[in-house]
Amino acid sequence: MIIKKIINYIYGYLRITVEGYYIERFINICRNKKYMMWNIKKINDIKLILNIEIKNFREICRIAKKTQCKVKIKTKRGLPFLLNKYKKRKVFVLFLLIIIMTIFLSSNFVWNIEIIEENGIEIENIMEDVNKAGLKIGELKTNIDTKDIINKVRLNRDDIAWMGIELKGTNAIVKLVKAEKKPEIVDEDEYCNIVSNKNGVITKINAQDGTANVKVGDTVSSGDVLINGWMEGKYTGIRYVHAKGEIEARVWYTMNKTIPYTTTEKRNTGNTETNYGIKINNFRINFPKGVSKFKFYDTIENENKIKLFSNFYLPISVIKTTNQEYEEVQKTYSMEEAKSLGIQEIEKELEQKIENKENIVNKNINTYENETGIDIYVTYEVLENIGTNEKIVF
Amino acid sequence: MKKNRMSKINKMLEIPREVYSDVPKISIIGFDEMIIENYKGILEYEEFFVRISTYRGIISINGYNLNLETMTNDDIRVTGKIESFDFERITD
Repeated sequence: MIIKKIINYIYGYLRITVEGYYIERFINICRNKKYMMWNIKKINDIKLILNIEIKNFREICRIAKKTQCKVKIKTKRGLPFLLNKYKKRKVFVLFLLIIIMTIFLSSNFVWNIEIIEENGIEIENIMEDVNKAGLKIGELKTNIDTKDIINKVRLNRDDIAWMGIELKGTNAIVKLVKAEKKPEIVDEDEYCNIVSNKNGVITKINAQDGTANVKVGDTVSSGDVLINGWMEGKYTGIRYVHAKGEIEARVWYTMNKTIPYTTTEKRNTGNTETNYGIKINNFRINFPKGVSKFKFYDTIENENKIKLFSNFYLPISVIKTTNQEYEEVQKTYSMEEAKSLGIQEIEKELEQKIENKENIVNKNINTYENETGIDIYVTYEVLENIGTNEKIVF
Repeated sequence: MKKNRMSKINKMLEIPREVYSDVPKISIIGFDEMIIENYKGILEYEEFFVRISTYRGIISINGYNLNLETMTNDDIRVTGKIESFDFERITD
C-alpha cells in the first residue's frame, strides 16, 4: 500500500469534491471506466470528497457533467505540483542543483589528513613527507595510490616501522608506528676502533681486543680513540682486529641558571574574548569584533574542519580565536627562595639527561649572588660507560 | 457443460473460487474494515449506509463514518464503524 501511495505522490493526484444528486451513478461510471479512486468520503447527502489521478481529471469532469454534478478541486498534491511551484524560482533550483553537485564532486577529493601515531609518539615532519609523496589536501581520491605513497615515505625515512593509509570518505587516516633508532652495528668480522662519545676522565679501562690508547686518569673528549683496533706483536707486525673492551669514565653534566629576585608573572584573569573566522582551503575570512579590549592577552587558535558525516570532511574550516586576558604580577623572592627554586629547576632538567641515576657520584652546587639575582651552577658527576664502535676506514 | 468441466479442473488445482468465477469474496477485519472482491458497483452511498451490488446479490452495510477507502476494478474497501450488514440474494 505504501508503494502505491508513493507512486501516486510521484504522479500527482487531486482531491476533489463532487456535489450532486446522482453521486452513486457518478461513482459507478467512473468505476466502469476503470479510473482509480480512493479515500472516498461522504460529507453530507449530496457532497462527496475523493482522490483521483491527474490524468483522469478531464474525463471525470465530463462524467460529472453527464450526471449533473459539480466538481471542485480541493487540493492538489504530488510532485508535479511541487515542481510547478518551483518553476518560477529558477535561481533557487539552480543553486540547489549546484550544491548537490558540489557535494558529489567534493566527495571525490581528500579534504583532511589525519595522522595517528601509535602510543602518541610524535614523528617530526611526517606531514611534509606525506604531502611530498603525493597525499595532499585537495587531491583526487582516485589518484592516490596508497601503496606507492607508503613505499615513498618509507624509503625517505628510516624511523617508521609501519605505515598504513586508509581513505574514509574525504578523510585520509595515516597510521604510523615509530621505529626506535638503533645504533649502527658494526659486524663482528669487521675491524673497528672504540671511540669516546662523551667528555670525561677515564676511571677504568679494560681492553679485551685491541690496544688501549688511553690510561686511567686521562681526560678525553668525544671523538677520541679509546681502544685501537689493531694489535702489535713482536714477530707478527700490525694485525687489525675488532676492538672490544669496557671503558668507564667520570662524566660531568653542568648547567647554570640565573634567577632574578623580582620577576613578572603572568596570571590569567579569566576574561576571554572569542572571534570566529572561516577558512576555505587557504583563503581566510575573519569576523573580528573590533580591537581587543584587553591590554595583555594570549591568543589561542582552534581550527575545526566542517564535516557532513563522521568521515565526510569539507574543505571549509571554522577558526575560533580566543583572547585570554592576563595581568602581569610582580613577584619578589628572597635570596633563599630564589636559590632553592633555581636548584630545583636545574636538578629536574639534569636528571632527565642522565640515564642511570644510581651512578651519580657527586653533586656540586655553586651560587654567586648579584644585585639583581642569583647565579646557580649545578654539576653532576656520573660514572658512565663511554665508547662506541667505529669502523676503521683504510 | 464446458463451464462445469472448467470448474472441476479448477477445483482439482485448488484455485480460489473468487479468482475464476464472479463469486464475491467478503472479508471483514475487526469491526471496522470490510473488503469486497468481485463487486459490480455501488448502488447507494451515505455516511451511515452503503449498498454494494455483486453478481450474486446486494450487500448493505450499516455503520458510522463509512469511507470507501480504495476502489479498484475488482475490489472495494469500506472502512468505518460497521454495525451490521446483510445480503439480498438474487433468486433465479
